Amino acid sequence: MAPPVVLARRKSLPLAAAVLGTVAALLLAADPASALSLNPEAADPGIAKGNTLHTIMFVIVVLAIIAVNLAIFRAVRPRHRYVEVEESGRPARTGRVVALLSLLAIGVFVVATIYSSASREVPLSTASVEGAREDGSIEITATGQQWLWRFGYPNGAFGYHRLVVPQGVTVSLELVSSDVIHGWNVPSLTGKAQAVPGQTNRISFRADEQGTFRGWASVLSGQGYADMESVVEVVEPDEYLRYIRALKRDVLEAQDIVERELRTQAQEAMDQ
Amino acid sequence: MSEEERDEQAEAPAETPEPVADETTEATSGEMVEATEEAPEEAAGAAESSADEETPDSSAAEGTSAGSEAADPSSDAGLYPQTEPVPRPEVSVEGEPGSRQRWIELATSADHKDIGRILIGTAVGSLFLAAVLLVLLRLQLAVPENGLLPPVTFDRLLSLYGTTAIFFFALPLFFGLFYHLVPLMIGSRGTALPRLGQLGMWLVLLGGVLLYSTILYTPPEAGINPLPPLSELAFTSNNGIDVWIASVGLATLGYLLITIDLLVTIRHLRAPGMAWRRTPVMVWSAAIASWLFAVIGPIFLAAVTMLMIDRRLGGGFFTGGAGGAPLLWQHFSYIFFAGTYALVAISALGIATEVIQTFTGRRLPDRKAIIGSLIAIAALGTLAWAQNMYTAPIPDGLRYFAMLMAVALIVPFGLVYFVLIRTVSRADFNMRAPLRYAMGALSFGSVGLLVELSQSTIAVGTQLQQTYDAWAATHFALIGFALFGGLAGLSYWYPKMTGRNLNEDRARKSFWLVVVGAMIAIVPLFAAGVEGQVTDAFRFPAGEGLSGWNLIASIGTLVLFLGLVLTIGNLVRSRVEEPAAPPDPWLGETLEWLALSPPPAHNFDELPDVRSDVPMTDVREILGRLDREQTEETRETETVA
Repeated sequence: MAPPVVLARRKSLPLAAAVLGTVAALLLAADPASALSLNPEAADPGIAKGNTLHTIMFVIVVLAIIAVNLAIFRAVRPRHRYVEVEESGRPARTGRVVALLSLLAIGVFVVATIYSSASREVPLSTASVEGAREDGSIEITATGQQWLWRFGYPNGAFGYHRLVVPQGVTVSLELVSSDVIHGWNVPSLTGKAQAVPGQTNRISFRADEQGTFRGWASVLSGQGYADMESVVEVVEPDEYLRYIRALKRDVLEAQDIVERELRTQAQEAMDQ
Repeated sequence: MSEEERDEQAEAPAETPEPVADETTEATSGEMVEATEEAPEEAAGAAESSADEETPDSSAAEGTSAGSEAADPSSDAGLYPQTEPVPRPEVSVEGEPGSRQRWIELATSADHKDIGRILIGTAVGSLFLAAVLLVLLRLQLAVPENGLLPPVTFDRLLSLYGTTAIFFFALPLFFGLFYHLVPLMIGSRGTALPRLGQLGMWLVLLGGVLLYSTILYTPPEAGINPLPPLSELAFTSNNGIDVWIASVGLATLGYLLITIDLLVTIRHLRAPGMAWRRTPVMVWSAAIASWLFAVIGPIFLAAVTMLMIDRRLGGGFFTGGAGGAPLLWQHFSYIFFAGTYALVAISALGIATEVIQTFTGRRLPDRKAIIGSLIAIAALGTLAWAQNMYTAPIPDGLRYFAMLMAVALIVPFGLVYFVLIRTVSRADFNMRAPLRYAMGALSFGSVGLLVELSQSTIAVGTQLQQTYDAWAATHFALIGFALFGGLAGLSYWYPKMTGRNLNEDRARKSFWLVVVGAMIAIVPLFAAGVEGQVTDAFRFPAGEGLSGWNLIASIGTLVLFLGLVLTIGNLVRSRVEEPAAPPDPWLGETLEWLALSPPPAHNFDELPDVRSDVPMTDVREILGRLDREQTEETRETETVA
């Protein structure tokens, strides 16, 4: 006969409470605003919807974590030695639990679907800008390349790193890549989307507030990945027009200079 | 036999050896009458031949244990017949057959226990390596704009870390435990295809050696999941990725072979009488995990082979242009990783179920609920693969499907938690290392799973994916399920595997150190992720409110590292220092406790005959009766004298 287990009783409750308290404190100390709201400075209606969903989910999840862990800690607290144990094999009310859990799952799914589809809706422009398409939106192409972003505006101008968009106008951002997969990511304005070579990924956003929004690439793309920053500036529509016209002028000028240079070089080569 | 009685029987000899033993004898003899009456029914239920029901005595014995013992109840050979070796004729040609060294034995053995030991050893070694790599990564991320490691080195350490943690820690740990224990638990002498399992184990080991051989030249540098086209030859021209492909490819193939062996073993080699409804939950979880891996393994194997064809044979499966589809890799790899994640959870929950049943001395209130839930977790968890691809250009339908599957996981996970917590609560139990680890697994796992539930909704997921919030959730779940779940199994079966006890005191201290370390190391990263810190970057910007969180996390990682080193140290030291363990130290209900500790090469001298879902209770009953009869005989002899 095997020697019996030596009975030892440990009071795990204080320690458990301490651990749970630490978790709760850390979760709550994590700057309530930033913990509850994903993007306090959300400047796009879709992102704001995502924010609301995050707040709902945050509350559900924190409550569920506390409930489950309290149940665990309560369960592992050693009880009186000879408590009346329930007869093993007694049917557990698992059917009821399954029904409850299913209801919870359906509820979460419905809420998540409502907010997710709302957050992915293409917002309508509230301002107009020259060069917009019929539906009032403008299309900008963002090309990811190792390790910067190139932005092509509707008038043919292009620039790097810095994207300037008009306030209140829906921007349809067309994400493409010229080499590897890049992760477009401006949390407060557009959220994340992958730029996959050979494919076009489209996200629409409408910047309701002026300002500068920063973002970092979110898919590992090689050595310069950590430097692959993008800056989105939201300005008045007029300023946006001035900017892209100036950009176009610069681009044309630069092209002219390059062309002239090339022509001169060719001429020189011919002369020799 | 009721709980109390079992307890009584267990404790009695320790407290007051002799007088109480007599009481137990008397108490159980009353019980025996009932047992004798019940036994024929049981035997009939198990389609036992009517010949056994000749006398109540023999049928009771038949109904409970191995035939030969019962046939001759006066024999007190016991159910551990190995203790009295039967003399066998020995043919020796010239002197003694030369005994080989232990390591040669181990390396050439096709014994499932040795193969399992090597896999578990690999996992424990990898745990240490992964911990070292994590410390290096966190040191780099301790302060903003840190220049400690160049970006390439960081990417390489990151790739090694992820591959080690999944392919050479989590998977070998659980497959090692399964491979070591499943044949014992189903009462078999070994696995069905031992050479296949042996080949699998060596392939896994070869994969691990290959991965770490890259330290000598160029380690892989395209991240934990090297997405093409970055991992294509055009963008990563050194051969680190090639070796990575070979390494994980060999490991996956190895696990597949082990999986096949496990499936055939569980299907065909269960002890007589062990119907599926009597098969332990741990064996069910091994079967479910093996089926799952048999589905996802080939998909991943195909993917890495295609990547290799792309790189070295001029293929174009995943290239950006030329008709390639980079997203195809994401689908393949995320099916595999989502499935692996589910596999880890299933294995850990299976282990936790056994541990909880043993230490509370209770059976599950609803076994079918647990088994059904584990199957559902395997299916739903794998089908939710696209929840990692919300930001990729995939159809919206696939996004909502993934979200539905991920949210539906609430039901099976919730049910498992409900049943397990219900089993523990109000039970009379000892807080020993295995139970502590099991409850730690449930606790950490619940946090990780619930935060992931939040991230599996599309609107939140697109924001939080590839941030440290997702990283932290994954690590919470993996520290819960892979580390604590695995350690629950290791500490529970430690006496069986090594023949020695695990040091309880050190196990408790190192457990709490790991808990505290993991909390400090991971919880701040939830906040950093919500503030937008992206993963895989070798540095993070200053002035974004990230510095504090990262510093705390890095300090916590050091504590976690210390805890892990102490845990590993305990596993290693206890093998040498601790006293020998008896065959059945926990009064477990599964058949592996019938074998010696450690079991001999053939596991059981006598293949056990299973007549209920608590075979060891039956065995103990028989042993108790034999003991009693012997005592009575002795007493009679004394009286006569």
